[in-house]
Amino acid sequence: MLWLYLHFPHLLLDHIRRAQPDTGPLAITDAGGQKVIQACPHARDLGIRPGMRLKTALGLAPELAIIRASDHQQERILEDQAFWLYRHAAHIVPVPPDGLLAEVGSLQRMYGSLDALWKVLEQALQERQLTAWPGTAHTPLAACLIARSGQGEFCSDKARSLHLLSQLPLTRAGLDERTCTRLQRLGLETLGQVFALPQAELARRLSRETLMRVQKILGTRADPQTPWQPPHRFRQQLDFAQDVERVQGLLFPLQRILSELEADLHWRQQDTDCLQLSLRHRHEQATRLRIRTSGPEHRAEAFLNLIRLVFERQPLKAPVISVHLSVQRFLDRQIPTGQDLLGQNGDPDEAWHTLVSRLQARLGDNALTQIVPQPDHRPELAWRALPVGHRHKAVPAVPGAHRPLWLLPEPQSLGETPRAWLSGPERIQAGWWDGQRVHRDYYIAQLHHGQLAWVFRDPGGDWFVHGWFG
Amino acid sequence: MQQASYAELFCLSNFTFLTGASHPQELAERAMELGYAALAITDVCSVAGIPRAWAALKNTPTRLITGSCFEAQDAPPDACAPRFILLARTRKGYGQLCQLITSARRRASKGQYQLLCQDLDSHALDDCLCLWQTPPATEVRAEDALTCGRWLQQRFQSRFWIVATRTLESGEEQQLERIRWLAGQLHCPITAAGEVHMHIRGRQPLQDLLTALRHHTTVEQAGHRLFQNGERYLRPLPVLQRLYPRDWLQETLRIASQCSFEPGSLRYEYPPDLVPDGLTPAAYLEQLTRAGEKQRYPEGSPPAVQALIRKELALISELHYEHYFLTIHDIVLYARSRGILCQGRGSAANSAVCYCLGITEVNPARVQLLFERFISRDRNEPPDIDVDFEHERREEVIQYIYRRYGRERAALAATVIRYRPRSAIRDVGRALGFDPVQVEQLLEGIDWRDRDTDWRQQIMDKGLTRNPGTADQFFSLVNTLLGFPRHLSQHVGGFVISAGPLAELVPVENAAMAGRTVIQWDKEDLESLGLMKVDILALGMLTAIRKALALISEDRGQEFRIQDIPPEDPATYAMLQKGDSIGVFQVESRAQINMLPRLKPETWYDLVIEVAIVRPGPIQGDMVHPYLRRKHGLEPVDYPDDAIRSVLERTLGVPIFQEQVIRLAMVAAGFSAGEADQLRRAMAAWKAHGDLTPFRDKLISGMLERGHDAGFAERLYQQICGFGGYGFPESHAASFALLVYVSAWLKRHYPAAFFCALLNSQPMGFYSPSQLVQDARRHNVSVLPPDINHSQWQHTLEGPGRQLRLGLRLIQGLSARGAQQVCQCRPATGYRSATELRRLAGLSQRDMELLAGANALASVSGDRHQAYWQLLGHEQPAELFARETDDEPAEAACKLLPEPGEGQNILADYASQGLSLRRHPLALLREQGHLKHCLTAEQLHTAESGRPVQVAGLVTGRQRPGSAAGVTFVTLEDETGNVNVVVWLETARRQRKPLLTARLLQVKGVLEREGSITHVLAGKLSDLSHLIRSLPVSSRNFH
Repeated sequence: MLWLYLHFPHLLLDHIRRAQPDTGPLAITDAGGQKVIQACPHARDLGIRPGMRLKTALGLAPELAIIRASDHQQERILEDQAFWLYRHAAHIVPVPPDGLLAEVGSLQRMYGSLDALWKVLEQALQERQLTAWPGTAHTPLAACLIARSGQGEFCSDKARSLHLLSQLPLTRAGLDERTCTRLQRLGLETLGQVFALPQAELARRLSRETLMRVQKILGTRADPQTPWQPPHRFRQQLDFAQDVERVQGLLFPLQRILSELEADLHWRQQDTDCLQLSLRHRHEQATRLRIRTSGPEHRAEAFLNLIRLVFERQPLKAPVISVHLSVQRFLDRQIPTGQDLLGQNGDPDEAWHTLVSRLQARLGDNALTQIVPQPDHRPELAWRALPVGHRHKAVPAVPGAHRPLWLLPEPQSLGETPRAWLSGPERIQAGWWDGQRVHRDYYIAQLHHGQLAWVFRDPGGDWFVHGWFG
Repeated sequence: MQQASYAELFCLSNFTFLTGASHPQELAERAMELGYAALAITDVCSVAGIPRAWAALKNTPTRLITGSCFEAQDAPPDACAPRFILLARTRKGYGQLCQLITSARRRASKGQYQLLCQDLDSHALDDCLCLWQTPPATEVRAEDALTCGRWLQQRFQSRFWIVATRTLESGEEQQLERIRWLAGQLHCPITAAGEVHMHIRGRQPLQDLLTALRHHTTVEQAGHRLFQNGERYLRPLPVLQRLYPRDWLQETLRIASQCSFEPGSLRYEYPPDLVPDGLTPAAYLEQLTRAGEKQRYPEGSPPAVQALIRKELALISELHYEHYFLTIHDIVLYARSRGILCQGRGSAANSAVCYCLGITEVNPARVQLLFERFISRDRNEPPDIDVDFEHERREEVIQYIYRRYGRERAALAATVIRYRPRSAIRDVGRALGFDPVQVEQLLEGIDWRDRDTDWRQQIMDKGLTRNPGTADQFFSLVNTLLGFPRHLSQHVGGFVISAGPLAELVPVENAAMAGRTVIQWDKEDLESLGLMKVDILALGMLTAIRKALALISEDRGQEFRIQDIPPEDPATYAMLQKGDSIGVFQVESRAQINMLPRLKPETWYDLVIEVAIVRPGPIQGDMVHPYLRRKHGLEPVDYPDDAIRSVLERTLGVPIFQEQVIRLAMVAAGFSAGEADQLRRAMAAWKAHGDLTPFRDKLISGMLERGHDAGFAERLYQQICGFGGYGFPESHAASFALLVYVSAWLKRHYPAAFFCALLNSQPMGFYSPSQLVQDARRHNVSVLPPDINHSQWQHTLEGPGRQLRLGLRLIQGLSARGAQQVCQCRPATGYRSATELRRLAGLSQRDMELLAGANALASVSGDRHQAYWQLLGHEQPAELFARETDDEPAEAACKLLPEPGEGQNILADYASQGLSLRRHPLALLREQGHLKHCLTAEQLHTAESGRPVQVAGLVTGRQRPGSAAGVTFVTLEDETGNVNVVVWLETARRQRKPLLTARLLQVKGVLEREGSITHVLAGKLSDLSHLIRSLPVSSRNFH
């Protein structure tokens, strides 16, 4: 067996950079936002190094753009890479946070030679604007160590890889800190010196685990790897180092992930008719878009045109910090679709869903909404319309509050003096933080025609009707 | 007819942390402005805000009522948990309130409280009034509320009211209806109360923000946790009259009239324990003083001192401060009896009485002190004496105080931790939902020392937000939040000791540190209420001095004490004049080392000046250069008149000490002692927010009246401003200078003992053990490495040559127990092998490895690699019957292991001990030819000033002192000593990377010399850190 390990030395950085080319020095920090874990070349020129405290980095480059990494995000991006590698190799294993392992011994025949395979992979990496350091060896662990050293080559010569391994400094051998310190205290510096120690002594003086690790590297102990299976969905994400304010800035990077989708669909031999696009903003709620095609589709260009149309109708409500594209519905290419919605169902839940789907199909997604309470003292913001079926957190309404069932979309000026005051004032002062400041005294009043109105007075002394009681 | 007025009985200040949105003094002043008859500050389970409100309200028509509000943790049977306010009726009620708060606070962890219903039965509260806050009508059933009310009413009888608050929020009508019904059922009066959270409505945004922070969320997400409006403020009387029925308002006045307690009536009751029966405190103090006088002056005291003692004793007894002096005397006596070095400082400490009592060693005959600063007839405030103790043994003194007075009578004062710009920006940013990373970036980008552009402008320049509205809001919130209290922490050493239970004087709560308790007031609160505090401080140098004296005594074979050190030793001053002061108390910083050769101290009093002159006050007030010129006779010394001469003569006409500035105001402008003290406080506060203008007119007109010209008056005023709050008091400098002299003398005459003691007192001082060891070796102390057959836990002096043997404590990570065992179990002939060491001392594998890693086994088992190899493989406990004998053949050396090289050894030493006795890494690099053209620190001394030079060294310090605008001082260390590098702002900006990150730095620059001070003015900086790696070993953390 021959293993190929691809080490992505700055996966997150590549991921950000390809969505948004050079925007000045950029660094990725750990989840806590304390330490730099990756730095772009520009940032490195300024002296910023992985492992540096963010404080120091900012001292070096006050204008540094910073992205905080999360384990979850890294894992997801790595899995995105597994998708395409899987098209080239059957037995692959993602090694979080930044490596992919592939068995390539069996592929040599298919591709003609190892070099030919590497050319294909190199091109795939280039298309995706990713940097990967390769390492090949006869054991997964050896391939990994060689790749991570950055000095790996694409070759199947066992002696060569053994030589590379022997040269590796202990600090690069992936040993736990304690073992590494102990070996260093013995004056050892390279992995080769450790290989040279008698194995029995190694187990006795260091630990069984250390011996096992050495054996796994050398291949004298089995190191089984469970092959990865792609999930039945497609998803990709774009993260931006700087907020994107214009649609144009989204379309360009979207192109790449739509091509990725096309390739994925091609490989599945399937189509889709619905893309889910979610745009995240810094402060506002995410914008969720469902892009429906008129029929089964797989061409990136067609998707892009549709998306462009959607944006023409609906401009960005706020700058975008990331875009998430997913496809969950796959249609076999042979079978025409569109009829399964009309199938008969006895389940009332199912019937409700059918009704909603039908109405949505007829009237459009946005025509159907449900009302849910929002925790806000301002009456106009105390509720919210959500697409039907959208999950939301349960919020109790204000206890004991007198609120009219019919709230006017906008307060209307009150033209008359009410006949009677029934309750009040209730004073509401809120919203200084979002520019929708409210300062009102509310009363329940009876107007001349007998209607019960919810009226308020603003600080200027003007009167408004804001709702009607039954 | 009674005039319409109001007493606010329910008001939270910002001492209810993250809830109240106004300072107590703001509330107090506003209440007074609105014409309230009284204001109760009723923070949650606390009276921490009372002193500040009191300071604002005393001598005004608005009375302060002391109270606190509570919510019980549990509920009476069939009722809801009660929420209520307690108000203190008289001093007795105040004590009861404090006791209750103490019980609830002591039960919970720091910052929390836990009140149980049973507390209302177990505590006497018969002198407190109870105002019940009924539960919300929408949440609690009427019957449950009624049961709760009944339960409370039973306990307070006729001292029970129901609170009605008009907040104008939804549901208010039901709530008022419920209140009326409950009052009817219980036949008790209703009183109006505002549930006040802020002094004006304008604080609503801040109050919302605090609420969001309290709930760990953002304002936007806080939803219904925010109040519905900003009505919880101090309302003007007409508004109140519109909102409340007349009798509810009248009721507030009736309640207020029952509360006669005033915080100003709290009097310190000194612990009587110390005075023997049959003697008055004054007589006893005099007796002790006279006994001390005989010891201090065996041949009889000089007449001036006798007069001073008489004057001081009279003043002390007039102001009834005998107990204070007796208390400190008692603590100092205890420390002496346990061999703990200590010394008092502060002007009251440096009095003739304290000299006789042994509190200080500063002989009043040697220095003129301003006894009036702390004890003054004008002000009814207590004296303040700080006593420093050996830092390693201060805890013994603290435990003694607890033992002597009991925990009920002694506790630490609090320190109020307040919002500072950084924390305020962080929290406001968090509550407004800014990305924390962005906020951090913003904070990092701010140059806090850049006085020209304030941080607000800097943030604006950086474009925090594109929306100027948001920015305004942000700044105004940050500005208001600045100075708000965040939590109570413990004071470094300020003890409050009382005659009766302390908890009747002020509530006591838990500190973060286990077993420590703090009171709810800080230093200023105590001062404003006139309560006494004893400062028990820790000082590392005293530890080092005691240890050095012990080593010298051992050497000499008889006890050697501080008193045995000869005064005014020329050799000691000669050493200091060279700037050779690493390790010496107070004068070892870089700035001090540079000042010593310029000031050239020749006497103890020069040292007093030396200690005080390297401070921001004298530097910014531009007093350093005139003083130096006059000292060296380059400028004439003149005085406008004799009065001023008497103040400034000892500092050659230049004011250097804080006392001198105060005294000048007295003699030149006619300030009384009390007025001068107000000036001192204004000066201290001036940098923060203070205003000296009120004093300006008085100063200048006072001086003109006394015949000084306007130019002189203006100059003096400017000097006072420049001095700000950063002057150093002579009374502290005088005590410190004694320790400077003692430690310098030790360094000069007993360097081995001195450095040994310093190393044994770590951590303390400016320098790392590595730097101290290097300096010791430069002073011809021979230093030996740690060794299992020679070292103790502590560093020791060994053999007739008094060589300094490093102790096992230096080995990082080694357990103290393991090290102790190594020493205790050591055979007379020493350990013969590692196996024997393991067997006899029973060391853990970890300790064995650490010893081998430190090369401490060198005397028994080959080089460190082989020693380590032999140790490994013993992790499992030896089999029961396997015999391990000492004559077991030593294990064959492992041929596969390389022999350690010099570089490897050096780095391994650093990794395990933080220092190496082998060659300095720079010596190796120089030998390898990496540092061509670089001069050593030693060579710099003889190089010509003004010539371009290159230097290289390990970076041991980077400093940007506030008093030197924009300059960074870098200290480089090479094999011969330290090089001082000065980097100007522009150079620093252009070369941030090497400046901030290099561990090994090369500097091209120009040599500058002034007198005997040499430094390199940096031009080009290069990072040579990679060379450390070229010492043929893998890189490890170095320094």
